Amino acid sequence: MDTSDVYLLAAGTALPGPPLDNARLASRFGMDSMWEQWVDTFIDTPRRHLATNIDTGEVESSLADLGEQAGRQALDAAGVRPQDVDLMVMGTATPDMLMPATVNMVADRLGIDGIATYQLQSGCSGAVQALDVARQLMLTGRHRTALVLGGDVGAKHQDVTVDLSTLSPAELVNVVLFGDGCGAAVLGTDPTPDAVAIRSVFVQLVGLGRAPGQVIEWFGSADRGRDPRPAGAEDYKMIEEHVPVMAVEILKELLDGVGWREQDIDFLLPPQLSGRMTARIVDRLALPIAEEISCVRETGNTGNALAFFQLERLLPVMRPGDHAIGIAVESSKWIKSGFALEKAAA
Amino acid sequence: MRDLDDFIGLVRDELGLPVGTEDAATGLDEIPGWDSVLLLHLLVVLERRTGSTLSLPAVLEARSLEGIYALVVAAWVP
Repeated sequence: MDTSDVYLLAAGTALPGPPLDNARLASRFGMDSMWEQWVDTFIDTPRRHLATNIDTGEVESSLADLGEQAGRQALDAAGVRPQDVDLMVMGTATPDMLMPATVNMVADRLGIDGIATYQLQSGCSGAVQALDVARQLMLTGRHRTALVLGGDVGAKHQDVTVDLSTLSPAELVNVVLFGDGCGAAVLGTDPTPDAVAIRSVFVQLVGLGRAPGQVIEWFGSADRGRDPRPAGAEDYKMIEEHVPVMAVEILKELLDGVGWREQDIDFLLPPQLSGRMTARIVDRLALPIAEEISCVRETGNTGNALAFFQLERLLPVMRPGDHAIGIAVESSKWIKSGFALEKAAA
Repeated sequence: MRDLDDFIGLVRDELGLPVGTEDAATGLDEIPGWDSVLLLHLLVVLERRTGSTLSLPAVLEARSLEGIYALVVAAWVP
């Protein structure tokens, strides 16, 4: 391996509450078997976890709760002590508060202090952006061990009393697509026997002149209650049209960058929009031998956490010499992203 | 919702699609702007208004607005 590489040492994840299947969601929102059949047919996301207890409306987990759990799990798996971490980077679209940044609350809970910390305002490309920032800072020689996190908790927008028949289609899809969760990875500059080298990370804004595909609002004391805009809305038609095309472009960009061919890819971590969309994208990418590593049918779309759930599934099954490609697209202001991983040959 | 015209008016108002009676027999996929999320929205509204349950496989077989209307009429217990 190249001595200037940064290595992925371990990953960890956390999900709130029990899994919620579509029958459970249907029953909570007063929907029937027709609604459930529609979600199964057109979304194909059978389960997700929510930080909000859908029976009581109580928020039972914060992003800091899940970040602490995922971070601790990743550190334990890597055999790294909190005091050895010298850099933290977190990506989220839904911090617990605007201030303090959630990354610093997680640091406090893990007993981490006196280091550089950064939080990115990001979406489905957030895990890749956070990995990129951490890796680039490590390549300068300034840092040796990073804890990278990504997660989302949509409790602020999860109104469990809403009448689904009153929601616009753009709001309705968000109810079934998303789940809450957080993931973490430990990066190091020194390879361990099972370490996986991060060969390349690609992040590119392509939003010039393009309307946002996903909008999440935040409201404060002055505009709360008087702003008629929905808190969250998705232009799912634009997403259906653009994300598969962008996924192909990202794959090409990554392969050209690292000099691999399509037949060299052993594992594919595709975008995790929904079971149905992910299957369409995998078909379109048409990699000849790559095994798909997905999580969306168990977790829902967890935004900034997605790639960590995929990495947690990937790391134990990568064999020496294997190559993996991860692809993600943020459809708010359109960010293409991806990464290329390689496990050292035995 | 007294007749097919009324039903198409409801589709126009609820989904914001510029459909008229002349589109009644048009294949759903050929209606500009039609998609599966609009279908769900329409079905939820229809179930609320009629108090009856619709079967998604039957709706997917229906293929046109008049086909869906026929299902709604058959399922409707006033």
